[in-house]
Amino acid sequence: MEKMKLMLVEDEERYLQTTAKLLKKRRIKVVTAQSGAQALDLLKTHDVHVVILDIKMPGMDGFKTLKAIKTLYPPVEVIFLTGHATMDSAIEGLQSGAFDYVMKPADIDDIVTKAYEAFEKRQRLDEKIRGLTSGSKMDAHNDK
Amino acid sequence: MDKKGLEEDIRARRVKRNILTYMIVIPLIPLFLAVGISFYYFTTALENSSTHSLKRIVGDHRDMIESFLLERKSDLELVANLFDFESISRNQVIDDMFEILKIKSGAFIDLGLFDSRGLHVRYSGQYQLTGKLYKDEFWFREVMEKGRYISDVFLGYRNVPHFIIAVKKGAGEDAWILRATIDTLFFDRMVSGVRIGRSGEAYILNNNGIAQTGRRSGGVNVMEEAPEFSAFPSSDSPIHTFLKSDPQGIKYLYATTWLKDLDWLLVVRQEKKDAFRFFYYALYASLVIVALGIAIIVGMSFFMTEKLFKRMEQLGRDKKDLGNQLIRATQLAEVGEMAAGFAHEINNPLQIIKSEHALMASIFEDLSENKKIDPKDEEILELEDSLSQIALQVSRCSDITRAILKFGRKNETRVQLLYPGEQIPEILKMIEQRASVEGIAVFQNIPEDLSGFMGDASQFQQVMLNLFNNAIDAIKEQHPDAGGRLDVQAFLKDEKWIEIRVTDNGAGIHPEHIEKVFSPFFTTKPVGKGTGLGLSVCYGIIESFAGTMDVTSRVNDGTTFIITLPKADTENQIQ
Repeated sequence: MEKMKLMLVEDEERYLQTTAKLLKKRRIKVVTAQSGAQALDLLKTHDVHVVILDIKMPGMDGFKTLKAIKTLYPPVEVIFLTGHATMDSAIEGLQSGAFDYVMKPADIDDIVTKAYEAFEKRQRLDEKIRGLTSGSKMDAHNDK
Repeated sequence: MDKKGLEEDIRARRVKRNILTYMIVIPLIPLFLAVGISFYYFTTALENSSTHSLKRIVGDHRDMIESFLLERKSDLELVANLFDFESISRNQVIDDMFEILKIKSGAFIDLGLFDSRGLHVRYSGQYQLTGKLYKDEFWFREVMEKGRYISDVFLGYRNVPHFIIAVKKGAGEDAWILRATIDTLFFDRMVSGVRIGRSGEAYILNNNGIAQTGRRSGGVNVMEEAPEFSAFPSSDSPIHTFLKSDPQGIKYLYATTWLKDLDWLLVVRQEKKDAFRFFYYALYASLVIVALGIAIIVGMSFFMTEKLFKRMEQLGRDKKDLGNQLIRATQLAEVGEMAAGFAHEINNPLQIIKSEHALMASIFEDLSENKKIDPKDEEILELEDSLSQIALQVSRCSDITRAILKFGRKNETRVQLLYPGEQIPEILKMIEQRASVEGIAVFQNIPEDLSGFMGDASQFQQVMLNLFNNAIDAIKEQHPDAGGRLDVQAFLKDEKWIEIRVTDNGAGIHPEHIEKVFSPFFTTKPVGKGTGLGLSVCYGIIESFAGTMDVTSRVNDGTTFIITLPKADTENQIQ
């Protein structure tokens, strides 16, 4: 069974480092990027299941990045981090194809939980695709 | 600043002066016009009526005098026709005739018979005139010529003012004349007996201006020349009126008329003051009215200007206050924006602290699992306690930043179809906790299938939350521990409107405040507790939903806020 691979996109370097450490401690593979552009770059070479994406970033902001990811890599699920307490940005993000959102300052456990949910959705999709391509049906197998 | 204040003061005074001037001058114009015009017409009418009445009096008086003289002449003719010269020449007959005449009128004082040569043949009266010759007397010649004659007043042989009436009978040598003397006193009394007002009087002048009767007010006696006669304007009209001053400078209104068959002029005069006294009354009344009017107008103008000015000053102050409030509101909005910016910025470090804490906590876990540290150790416990403190404080901070962001967010409204049956219970959930802590029972009566309205969800939430929080505050004031009650109802008012009612049994709103509850910056809360913006913002939001907001309240009894919203036309709505 495939392991979940995360990508963290944040402009705060220290946050990236620390969160990456925490995720590694939980045996989660993680790639970090400090900007939207870098994230898109890394996606070319890394097979990532779920992207944790900050909305407020200098340069290419979260929404733009999200749209680009969804266009270039449709199967990749995105969870974004928002500082806004209003529903507006959340709704906008979800309408742009994000899986879910987490309110800042985010709790690592929240992120992980939601990431797994997204990963499972991705898995099910992959199963379906595989089933369709191989012509044989297989039960969805969840490895958690 | 001082200079500006001074300038404003000067300007204000000028405005005040202008207002006052207009307020006084404008009403005075119609006042003067009304009084002036009515005075003019009234006095013209009065003058006419005064003159007219004088004319009438003169006419009546003339007719009376004329008829008197005519009667006396007829009396004389009558007795002359009863007798002939011979019979009168007999002794005593003249006395009998005189008796007859005296019965006819008391004005006769004697009677005489003359032959054609002017000899006074017979006489009945108090004077000794028998035997006197009158051949050269003017009256004698006149009567011989004309057959009858009324003389002017003259002195004659008796040296007493009198006038005579004479008639001639027969012709040539056989002509004889009967002559009667009229008592001047009697005639005088009759003529001057007319009474007009206080100063009215009548007298007679001949065509040379010699008085035939005396003037009651004096100045002209019988047989004296009246000084003013020469200055009488000539006229062709039977009755002529004019104004003239006498030598003392008193103005008189005169009416004159000539007596028929005689060169006598009847003069009636009255002091102008007296004749036109009603005219003067009218003048005084008008003056009093004008004076009163001016006094009232000036007084009222001063009063009104003062009032207006106070109001203007108040408005000026209000304007300043509003300006200040606007500045405050702008500042508040800016502060909100800034706070939102801060919150955003602080969120990032908080995020980092949070993740650092998580890392430390997991490292600790690892260390104690690997027996590198003793979890029971005092110092380790203390460290762990500190760590959990950090976690606690970070979550406190994040609560604050979230609250700030919620408050200071940009108002990007998204109008959508909202159902009270869905929205209100959800919003009520937010305050349930608080209400139960305060011992308030919450009741809701909202049909689930109630029609929707168009609005922004978060704005509607803001309105309802504001009302609920106000209600809870009011209930806390009235029922500090228990017994509070909050009712929320929603129903279809008619086919166009949805009504939402939020009722509490709290402290209520004072009647003098109820008008102001929706005004911005109005708050009864202590300084720093309320901005006074809540309800005004709510009012604005409901208005933006094309609805209305109203309130009824009774002190110590409770308050009901009523929101009326237009029912959404669901048939054409795309959900």
